[in-house]
Amino acid sequence: MNLKPVKDTLIIAALKSIPDFKRQPLMLIMIGLISSIPLFFLLVFGGNIGYGLVGAMVSTIGFIGIVAAIQDVTWDRYVKIREMIVAMPVSPISYAIGVALAPLLVSAPSLVFFMAIALWLGVLPISSIGWLLASLLLCWAALSGIGFIISTYLQKASVYTLNSMSNILGLGLIFMPPVYYPEEMLGGFSWIAMIFPTSNAAGLIRAYSGGLQLPLEMVLIRWLILAAVTMVSIIVVARKARWREA
Amino acid sequence: MEAIKSAELIKVYQSKEPVEALKGVSLSIDKGELFTLLGPNGAGKTTFLRIISTQLSPTKGEAYVFGHDVMREAGEVRKHIAVVPQDVQTYNNFTPWEYCYYFSLLRGMSKRRVEEQAEKALKAVELWDMRKRTCATLSGGEKKRAVIASALASDADVLMLDEPTSGLDVVARRKVWMVLRELVEQGKTILLTTHIMEEAEMLSDRLAIVNKGKVIAEGTLKDVKSLTKEKFRVVVEGNSKNKLLQNNGRVVKFGDKQIIYLKDEDEAIELVKTALKKGLKAETAPITLEDVFVKLVGGEEA
Repeated sequence: MNLKPVKDTLIIAALKSIPDFKRQPLMLIMIGLISSIPLFFLLVFGGNIGYGLVGAMVSTIGFIGIVAAIQDVTWDRYVKIREMIVAMPVSPISYAIGVALAPLLVSAPSLVFFMAIALWLGVLPISSIGWLLASLLLCWAALSGIGFIISTYLQKASVYTLNSMSNILGLGLIFMPPVYYPEEMLGGFSWIAMIFPTSNAAGLIRAYSGGLQLPLEMVLIRWLILAAVTMVSIIVVARKARWREA
Repeated sequence: MEAIKSAELIKVYQSKEPVEALKGVSLSIDKGELFTLLGPNGAGKTTFLRIISTQLSPTKGEAYVFGHDVMREAGEVRKHIAVVPQDVQTYNNFTPWEYCYYFSLLRGMSKRRVEEQAEKALKAVELWDMRKRTCATLSGGEKKRAVIASALASDADVLMLDEPTSGLDVVARRKVWMVLRELVEQGKTILLTTHIMEEAEMLSDRLAIVNKGKVIAEGTLKDVKSLTKEKFRVVVEGNSKNKLLQNNGRVVKFGDKQIIYLKDEDEAIELVKTALKKGLKAETAPITLEDVFVKLVGGEEA
C-alpha cells in the first residue's frame, strides 16, 4: 500500500503549523481568546454558558479553518511554497488536506481547553465526546471546503480583498447563525441553523449533550445536511481547482 | 542525452486581450549543462520555465524532461526536478534548516537522507551556521540562498531557477554562482533564467536569448556573440560631439560617455589612439553579451 500521500499530507500540515507553533506560541492563546469573547459577555451579562462553550468549540475550528483555506492563496503569492510543491511529486489532494489540517492542529489546544471546561461543568457528558468530535470534524471539512471554493474562484482578487473576505466570512459564519445562542431565538426561522455548517454542528453537539431536544429523524437530517454541504463543497473545489495553471 | 526538450511551445494567456507569451519555442538542453534563458522583462522566460516544471499548461506544443511528457507524465517529471520560483520571499517563521528538511521529506526521502542532504545543501550555500535562525533575521541574500538550498537538498537531476540572484548584492550573487557551477560539475542540469548579462556570460554552457516569446539567438556564448558583425567596443569619455569619432562605427551615447562599436580590432586600437591624442579618455575591449543582447533585442539605434 502506498502511504506517500498520507505522509505528504502530514508533512504539509506540519510545515504549515509547527514552525508557527514554535515561533509564535502566543497565537495559540489568541485563537482561544477570540472564541472566548462571547463567553465573557455571557458570563458578565448572564446567559447559558453551555451554549457559549459549544459555540467556542465550533468557533475555534470553524473560524480558523475557513480563514486558513482562503489565506493560503494570499500567503502563497509571496512565499510561493505551493508553487514549489506543485513541481514536486506531491498530490494536490495531499496538499489541500494538509493545508486544512494545519489550522486544526493549531486550534487543537484551545479545543481541548474548552472541552475540558465543558466536561468539568457538566455541560458535555463524556458519552457525547465521539459525536462532538464527529460534528466538529465535518464542520471543519465543510468550512475548509467553502474556504477553498472562495480561494479557487477568486484567484485574481487582491490580497486585501481575500483577507477581508476570509475574516468577514469566518466571523459571519460564527456569529450570525445560532452558534453561541439558542436556535429557538430565531423563532420560525430556526431552520436556518441547519443550513450553516457552524450552527448545524453546534445544534448536533447540543442535541447529543442534552442542550437541545430534537427528534431522531431531525438529528439524522442534520447529519445528512452537514455531510451534504461538505461533499458539495469538496466536489465544487475538485471540479474547479487546478493544480497546474491553465 | 537531452534533459529538457521543447517543440514549438506556444502559450496564450486568455483575457480580454489575449497575450501570446510564447510563440513556438523549441529548445534542447543536454544533461549536465547549465542553460540560460536570457531576455528582457516579459519576454516569456518564466512562462517557459513554468511549463517545463509542470506548473503551467501550454496552449500548443510539446515539452519533455528526460523523455517524460510534461503534460501526460507530470508525476514522472516532478521526480526529476526542483524549482526556485521568481521573486520568492521566504516565510519568516521558517529556518533555512526547515526549508530543506520539509521540502526534502516531501520528495519521499528517508529522515536520515533528508538530514544528510539538508546539511550538504546548507553547507554549499554557506548557511550551515545560520541553519537555526529564522528567515526573519537573515539578510536578503541569505534568504534567497535558503530557498536555493531547499532546491539543492532535493538532489533533483534538474534545477530550474527563475532569476535566482535578482535583488542580491554582488558578493551574494557570486556565492550563488559558485554553487551553481559546482552542481553542474557534479552532473546536475540547470535551467536558469536571468536578465543579468554578466550572470549569463559567467555561468552558461549555452544560452538562448528570448524576446517577445521567440528565441532570437541560441548557442554558446561564442556562437551568440558571432551573430553581430561588430566585434569590438571603444568607450570614450569626454567631448561626445566630436565628429571624427562618430564616423568610425555605430555610436551609443550616455551623457559625456559614448560606446563605439567596430568590426575590426585594429580599427578599435586606432580609434583609442586618436581619442587619447585629443585629450579624451578611451579604452577598447571585445563586445560583451550585453552589447549583442541590446543589438538583437533592438533596444538601441545608431
